[in-house]
Amino acid sequence: MYKSGQREFINRVKNALGHSADNMERKRKFFDLPMSEKDRTTLKGIENRTPEEKEKLLETLIEAAKPINLNVIVLPDVSSVTTAIVDLVREKEPEWGDKKSVAAWKHPLIASLNLTAALSEQDVSVYFTEFEDGQMEDDLPIETREKLRQHIIDSYIGITSADFCMADTATLVMRTRPGQARSVSLVPLIHVAVIEIDQIIADLKELFTLIKWDAEHQKEGLTNCMTFISGPSKTADIEATMVHGAHGPREVYLFVIS
Amino acid sequence: MIKITTENYVAEARKAIKNQVLQKALEDLQQRFGPPTALSYQKLLEGPELRLIAQDIRMQAIENLDIILEKLAENIHQNGGHVFFAKDGQEAIEYALQIARKHNVKRIVKGKSMVTEEIGLNTALIDAGIDVTETDLGEYIIQLAGEHPSHIIAPAVHKTRNEIGKLFSEKLDIPFITDPPKLTQEARKALRKKFLAADMGTSGCNLACAETGHIAVVSNEGNIRMAATMPRVHLAFIGMERVVARLEDHDALVRLLCRGAAAQKMSTYVSYIGGPRSAGQVDGPQEFHLIILDNGRSRILADEEFREMLCCIRCAACLNVCPVYRKIGGHSYGSTYSGPVGAVVTPLLVGINQAKDLCLGETLCGACQDACPVNIDIPRMLLALRFKLAEGDSVWNVTPADRKEKAIYSVWSWMIRHRSVYDFFLRLAAFGQNILPQKEGMIRRLPPPMSGWTQSRDMKAIAKQSFMKRWKKL
Repeated sequence: MYKSGQREFINRVKNALGHSADNMERKRKFFDLPMSEKDRTTLKGIENRTPEEKEKLLETLIEAAKPINLNVIVLPDVSSVTTAIVDLVREKEPEWGDKKSVAAWKHPLIASLNLTAALSEQDVSVYFTEFEDGQMEDDLPIETREKLRQHIIDSYIGITSADFCMADTATLVMRTRPGQARSVSLVPLIHVAVIEIDQIIADLKELFTLIKWDAEHQKEGLTNCMTFISGPSKTADIEATMVHGAHGPREVYLFVIS
Repeated sequence: MIKITTENYVAEARKAIKNQVLQKALEDLQQRFGPPTALSYQKLLEGPELRLIAQDIRMQAIENLDIILEKLAENIHQNGGHVFFAKDGQEAIEYALQIARKHNVKRIVKGKSMVTEEIGLNTALIDAGIDVTETDLGEYIIQLAGEHPSHIIAPAVHKTRNEIGKLFSEKLDIPFITDPPKLTQEARKALRKKFLAADMGTSGCNLACAETGHIAVVSNEGNIRMAATMPRVHLAFIGMERVVARLEDHDALVRLLCRGAAAQKMSTYVSYIGGPRSAGQVDGPQEFHLIILDNGRSRILADEEFREMLCCIRCAACLNVCPVYRKIGGHSYGSTYSGPVGAVVTPLLVGINQAKDLCLGETLCGACQDACPVNIDIPRMLLALRFKLAEGDSVWNVTPADRKEKAIYSVWSWMIRHRSVYDFFLRLAAFGQNILPQKEGMIRRLPPPMSGWTQSRDMKAIAKQSFMKRWKKL
């Protein structure tokens, strides 16, 4: 569509560096390298993690969550998470307007919470961010997307799961998929994430190794938007005073099923 | 291009030093970030040595930038995104305007980006009749006030809550308040409307990953996620050097970036964006464009003496420890980049002669290098710039900045290589200094042409007896 300017640009860079035209060897040095022994060890470490080690990671996560005001709540099963969310919805007030509604991912773990039924008592609607089965981009009426967007904007609590949670920094890792809208963890006042203890990994190194080398995870790669979330949105731009809820959620609750 | 006012460095610095509010703010800023950043390096699993590993990763990327940029573009294309290579700010702006016109864009929300400051994007968009809103709270405040950022990551550090309260009450039509949480809530409300109404979102890029074809954007507020999620089009700008080859390279660099920028283990939000939303995805932009900008960087790349500067990831850690920045603040530097990084980058981008005061003003104390997450040897490059200013340089078109100074040093250099002349000079000076104004063994003022030396400092008087004479007596 537009002239990208790439060739001229790259040639200028090449000249500046004094490289000759043949790049194959340099490319081989950087890209398409085989898996290293270190990567293999990292993957094995994740795979063979004992229940005790998992508990230990959970403890690390809880510690890391404190200074960033992320609320980590460990619960034994799905039904206790549902109860906790129902309580949260009762307790918290919406940000704009009076009507309480909740937006949630289409995700097996979230589906198992049976939120629609659990919240119907309080007359709170739950909007799942999914299109009708089989509806893809092309056959989608623009109103459908607009309606979903408006539901997320109107909701004061957004409920998601996550792909992983990195214990070292208390960071949720989410990759984008149909049914799992990015804005659910961003636009509502309160973000609730539900994960299972097995989803906790140690750190960035484990994450990148999994995505790059684990057979299951490398298929998807990073997707077109992989987001890390470490606690609630914050700013200190006015006289260095820490304030939560600059643009994103003011509170984040992470429920870990263990 | 934004207006470069580097020639006012001395006058602006003088003003800043007298500004008590600014002095307090700068001191607080350095206290808040300087020591905690150093501590956070200590606490790294690998220790502060990780900075050296990260430097190596960055340098390798810079030295192979041609193939790495090609790979990045190839992968972004594969992910369904568009890539435009801009030789200069003008080309970048023209492309941005083209995209805006194509999508009939009326309103833009901007995530913080120094590169867009560098090319003066806002002015160009506003001139084209587009409503442009900065969405980082600090940047928003600066934009409402009609100013420029004075710090890379804390752009409104020079503003007090009273000033901000007044500004908000005027511009947002609200009662005068000064409480930071309430002020933040007002900004949240105003900006939420902007995010939801915007047709296009723009952002910078903290660090791209070539092998996957993603840009990583980092923020604490969530404004960049908003700008990259809610509008129909996402337009990202990246300085051509802000990329590494592999995903695992991001491990060290993201950890160091968050620590260097704000002494955090991890910033609240880090997003890896690789293209527009795909089929079936509920949200995200329809179109994703990445503009890769040269704008003078290939010239820096071509000079091995300064190539290292391109390893910079613009975290601002050097600003948070620099004794000069601490006194004169960001505006004195008269361009987009302030502090030690600005003292090297600005002369290289806008002209060494024009921005000479920036590199002459720094102290060479080395605090910047110690604080740098990728260990860039800024003092070395400051000296290299000063050398060019002293001697002139044909490659960079530098004319000697001060011929008088050069003449004095040439004479001095000749003199100290000739013992008898030197001894004679010393005797003469020891005698002659008696007529100069002195206080407590210090000379207050030297006569021309050396008067500049004592303009802001005293000089130790020459001893009555030279060392050599005393040595002989011992």
